[in-house]
Amino acid sequence: MIRSITAPDPKQAPASGCFPGIDYDQNPEVWAKAAGRAVYGTDLKMPGMLYGKILRSPCPHARIKKIDTAAAEAMPGVRAVLTGEGLGCKPFGIVVDDELPLAVDRVRYIGDEVACVAAVDLQTAERAVQSIRVEYEELPAVFSPAEALEENAPQLHRDFPGNVAWQRNISRGDSEAAFREADHVVENTFTVPAVHPTYLEPISCVAESDRCDGLVLHTALQSPDSVRAIVAKVLELPLSRVRVIGPVMGGGFGGRVYGNLKLYILSSLLAMKTGWPVKMQLTREEEFTVGRPMIAAELKMKMALRSDGTILAREAEIITDNGAYSAQAPWVSNTISERNDSVYRIPAVKTGVRLVYTNKVPTGQYRAYGNQAANFATESLIDMAAKKLGIDPLDLRLKNCIREGDVSVHGLQINRCALDECLKAAAKKIGWDRKKAGRGYGLSAAIHANGSLIFNKKFRGAAAQARLELDGRVTVFTGEQDYGQGAHAAFARIAAKALGLNPDLITVQSRDTMHSPYSLGALAMRQTTIGGKAVQLAAENLKEKIVQLAVSLSGEPATMENGVVRGSSGMVFDLAAIAYDYHSQTSGLSLLGEGKYVPEKSDYDDSGYGNISVTYSFAAHAAEVEIDRDTGALTVHRIVAAHDSGRIVNQVSARGQVYGGITQGLGMSCYEGYLFETGRVANASLADYKIPTALDIPEIEEIFIENEDPAGPYGAKGLGEIVMVPVLGAIANAVADAAGEWVTDLPITAEKIYQAMAGWECQ
Amino acid sequence: MKQQIIMFQLNGEPLEIYADPAESLLAILREKLGLYGTKAGCGKGECGACTVLVDDQAQNSCLIPAGKVQGRRVETIENLSRGDVVHPIQEAFVEKGAVQCGFCSPGMIMSAYALLKSSPQPAPEDVKTAISGNLCRCSGYKQIEEAVLCAGDKMKNRES
Repeated sequence: MIRSITAPDPKQAPASGCFPGIDYDQNPEVWAKAAGRAVYGTDLKMPGMLYGKILRSPCPHARIKKIDTAAAEAMPGVRAVLTGEGLGCKPFGIVVDDELPLAVDRVRYIGDEVACVAAVDLQTAERAVQSIRVEYEELPAVFSPAEALEENAPQLHRDFPGNVAWQRNISRGDSEAAFREADHVVENTFTVPAVHPTYLEPISCVAESDRCDGLVLHTALQSPDSVRAIVAKVLELPLSRVRVIGPVMGGGFGGRVYGNLKLYILSSLLAMKTGWPVKMQLTREEEFTVGRPMIAAELKMKMALRSDGTILAREAEIITDNGAYSAQAPWVSNTISERNDSVYRIPAVKTGVRLVYTNKVPTGQYRAYGNQAANFATESLIDMAAKKLGIDPLDLRLKNCIREGDVSVHGLQINRCALDECLKAAAKKIGWDRKKAGRGYGLSAAIHANGSLIFNKKFRGAAAQARLELDGRVTVFTGEQDYGQGAHAAFARIAAKALGLNPDLITVQSRDTMHSPYSLGALAMRQTTIGGKAVQLAAENLKEKIVQLAVSLSGEPATMENGVVRGSSGMVFDLAAIAYDYHSQTSGLSLLGEGKYVPEKSDYDDSGYGNISVTYSFAAHAAEVEIDRDTGALTVHRIVAAHDSGRIVNQVSARGQVYGGITQGLGMSCYEGYLFETGRVANASLADYKIPTALDIPEIEEIFIENEDPAGPYGAKGLGEIVMVPVLGAIANAVADAAGEWVTDLPITAEKIYQAMAGWECQ
Repeated sequence: MKQQIIMFQLNGEPLEIYADPAESLLAILREKLGLYGTKAGCGKGECGACTVLVDDQAQNSCLIPAGKVQGRRVETIENLSRGDVVHPIQEAFVEKGAVQCGFCSPGMIMSAYALLKSSPQPAPEDVKTAISGNLCRCSGYKQIEEAVLCAGDKMKNRES
């Protein structure tokens, strides 16, 4: 095993805060990644493995008249050809059932799956796919929600009249009265394009059937158990006959919670048909054209205020662009529609949100689930109000921000919260009181949930196991996923703290649904808070069992402190000896600690009012920017990120989350966004869809307000998603401060800034 | 194109392969030679995950036709560690938290390796430029830059 040559002895190294061990992720897997030895999904190869390829629709909307697969089937090296006709699968989906593994009769976007093949090598599979002849009858298509909502618009799905996939109207308090009585009203319309998580490794899957008496998917997922359940349902297989084994994951950021379900289902179908493992992989172009970006949104928003800056109400009409199928877009739309309302004490809210089908790439989710898109709109509006009222944006935020003990307008229970401190700290560090001439400054605030109590109302928590191995080491089993964000290292530290052991002695396992406890997975910022708490409880349970065993072995009272088990007479018990003794007594069982974290039921009601999470993380960001007045070119000089994520488990990993999340926020603010030409993705490459490079990164300064939260393990809570949220508002407001006008359409490009400064109509 | 014999030095050893000279060096490394440490992120020279050294220069191996490495020296990530002994750059990457999902790490480390070969004590701006062709979506690059600077120091200390 690779070990650092010069790293300090972990036992001697200074611990960070209250956690033992050295302060960076030192899992063996991290060393393997650095050495180029880690095995990712795209690296997988198996004996007898076939390669699958998908034929995709070239039309945005068409009827399939005929598919001729004869040439493909006759091609040497081709082992299977599938079309939608005859598959007999029922429609499936994540929230609404509107997809089929392969199109039957009709295609709804450029990229829709029409047929697939498995062949002995990729070149043969590609040639075979190209040889399939499809006759299409083109149908009129809709490329924007506005077109799709027109009265006589072509209808995409029979079960969803008017092209509305999902909608919700929320009303809390009396917003109409608030707007009548308000001294000031600010309003604007904000637009956000579809954005791709752009994990660096394209999605792949190797499906194996019949070799292990069931279906095995080798694919890296943030929520393997959720995907497993969907695949089993679509293929009508018993759940216990479907197993997901995760190779190392090359980035996820929400995009691999469900990944690409069609790819998993089609590789499974091909593996089941041929009896051989089938590998399928998206190309980078396919990642952009069929890879489930986060929904585009238009937010029409207005806010009512008193002259003293008190926010009285907010109203919004939101339309989100679903693309051809739904994936998680309803949930993302829901987050966009309401999460930001809980950043401030807003007494009344009225919001309508509609998710609309269009003949474009289907959408999914991205880190922070739309909260960042809404942050751009709502935080811009806050600054617009501050300007109108002549109140400092910091003062306006401090006057209204949510505080400990509050219940937000949507029923969120704010038990621990240092948002005001975050705001003050970010403003202080950026130099709010000593702004440099020629620079623009902006602030933004955010809230984000830590796991969901309502995603599955019955299944709200997490479970973990801690097993004492015969050598005295401990293995933690969890269903929570590590994809580089440091979850496993955090769990090792949490278990180490509970047991009083060095984290080096703890191994964390999560990548096989056959052995890991069931989990909702790495989503909704639940890993540290929910998964970590379960690990703490499992380790504590193991500790109890170890002590009990020592008592029964020695016949005297015993304790376990700093990892040492000691009887009252001073006798010390070796952990390996305890493990071995139990193993012998039971003829082979291992001493197993079990932990279950079952948060209390939520009071969440049918109107969507109520607590949605065990606790919430908070953040405030401040940005300092400069604009070239001749060209509109934007330089983001600094971002200060102040975070209340409770106790920080691992400083180095936490900093990595902050820098990475801010960089993604910068990308979404200034560079990224899908461009379409009549339904075709016009920037489907990394050359045309620009994500930030090393040359684009501002100075980033992080501040952790370690406000301990009892809801999480040892006071820790989530950080990974919220880091991306406030960046957008902070940059937008800093740009407005420098330019004198807001750019209300993302991304904030030089051209749009120039137009805003010139007072031209923004596109 | 017709397959032919291509001779080059790979990771310090002479190598002869029979391959289509138009095939990419990346495909040769991964599919023919089983060196999966070099990652394939886009196949178009846009992400830098497949960076290797050709005659000490960092190159996107997906853009190099195999025929072009005839007679040249190719170095991949696999050459930087031996058993449990890793290169100071790799050590620095782990210690500084520069490895998250790790998919960009081999290419990023090879770009850093090329930089430190030609410029053992680089300025922070040189580091940014050297890794600007390597995309990373996880890290925000900051800890990677810290790691490269730290690696320079480690290498200097090890020599002295």
